[in-house]
Amino acid sequence: MVFADSEPAAGGVHVSTPPAAVKILVAGGFGVGKTTLVGAVSEVTPLHTEEYLTVASEGVDDVGGVEEKTTTTVAMDFGRITVNPQLVVYLFGTPGQERFWFMWNDLVHGALGAVVLADTRRLESSFASIDFFESRGIPFVIGVNCFHGQVDRGEQEVRDALTLGPEVPLVMGDMRSKEVGRDLLLALVEHLITTLSTA
Amino acid sequence: MDDLEADAGDPEELSVRPYTLTQGRTAPARDDLTLITIVKTVDPPPGRSALRGLQPEHHVILRQCRGSAAVAEISAGLNLPVSVTKILIDDLVARGQVTTRPPIAMAAGNESDMNLLRAVRDGLRRL
Ligand SMILES: Nc1nc2c(ncn2[C@@H]2O[C@H](COP(=O)(O)OP(=O)(O)OP(=O)(O)O)[C@@H](O)[C@H]2O)c(=O)[nH]1
Ligand SMILES: [Mg+2]
Repeated sequence: MVFADSEPAAGGVHVSTPPAAVKILVAGGFGVGKTTLVGAVSEVTPLHTEEYLTVASEGVDDVGGVEEKTTTTVAMDFGRITVNPQLVVYLFGTPGQERFWFMWNDLVHGALGAVVLADTRRLESSFASIDFFESRGIPFVIGVNCFHGQVDRGEQEVRDALTLGPEVPLVMGDMRSKEVGRDLLLALVEHLITTLSTA
Repeated sequence: MDDLEADAGDPEELSVRPYTLTQGRTAPARDDLTLITIVKTVDPPPGRSALRGLQPEHHVILRQCRGSAAVAEISAGLNLPVSVTKILIDDLVARGQVTTRPPIAMAAGNESDMNLLRAVRDGLRRL
């Protein structure tokens, strides 16, 4: 038994120091299984929170060039995985309405990477998320949801439809499965490690 | 601070009510809190006299953060928007009643980042 006060203060880290945190985003179109994936791998039931965003309103006439601003509420849910006593991973399921959360800097900034979920019956609903992460240089992996318990499109067909490079990892499976969720997150982290070590 | 009651037709009416909790402030004094900044109540926790002037929500935060919690978790626990929660946390930071730990920032090619990623990978494998 090692007592707390005999723990070496390596790197200034003491046992009573709160854990460090990192985050991973789970994105994709409406109803694609984001909350399901977060819940499958999280050690707690997904928590829910909201934020106010100030956005330029649509369809207002720009008399005098003054942009109308309105306040919008975006909601998201999230879970956590305690990797070790010093490190916690937070998983944020992004809200379905991309055009709002894309502007939520605190949500996007500093993420390790993202899992983008895609439903083979409506792949186009994940285009906006993929474009967003590509343009921001945020690494991502694709999770292809198998809603009918089977893969109805081949991996290459999905890659072509999403115009994914061969370097982007892709995992197919049922997002209600903890193993599938874990494999997706592992694919992302291994992708990050590979990218970092070849940088 | 004289006009906390929103006009009925105010487009921001919805957002006004929680800000009564923050006495009208809509942004924290310092802007360094993020969704995953970890908040911890000082040990020993503040005594009764040190709690004067605080709202019930501040008390909830101090209780929740005895163990430590992320800003997003505190927001979820209070059922308040993140920006409102940040203002309340900031009050406690200013009073020296909680400490905060910023999230890990990654920089390309950094060896400690590699160690961090390996730790995450090893943790996920144990899931
Ligand atoms: N059969 C099957 N059902 C799934 C799968 N993933 C999610 N579902 C179901 O699909 C429905 C929608 O899933 P959610 O996790 O709520 O989707 P979401 O992306 O969070 O939805 P929004 O937040 O509303 O955009 C739920 O009823 C899930 O149980 C899957 O892989 N297979
Ligand atoms: Mg959801």
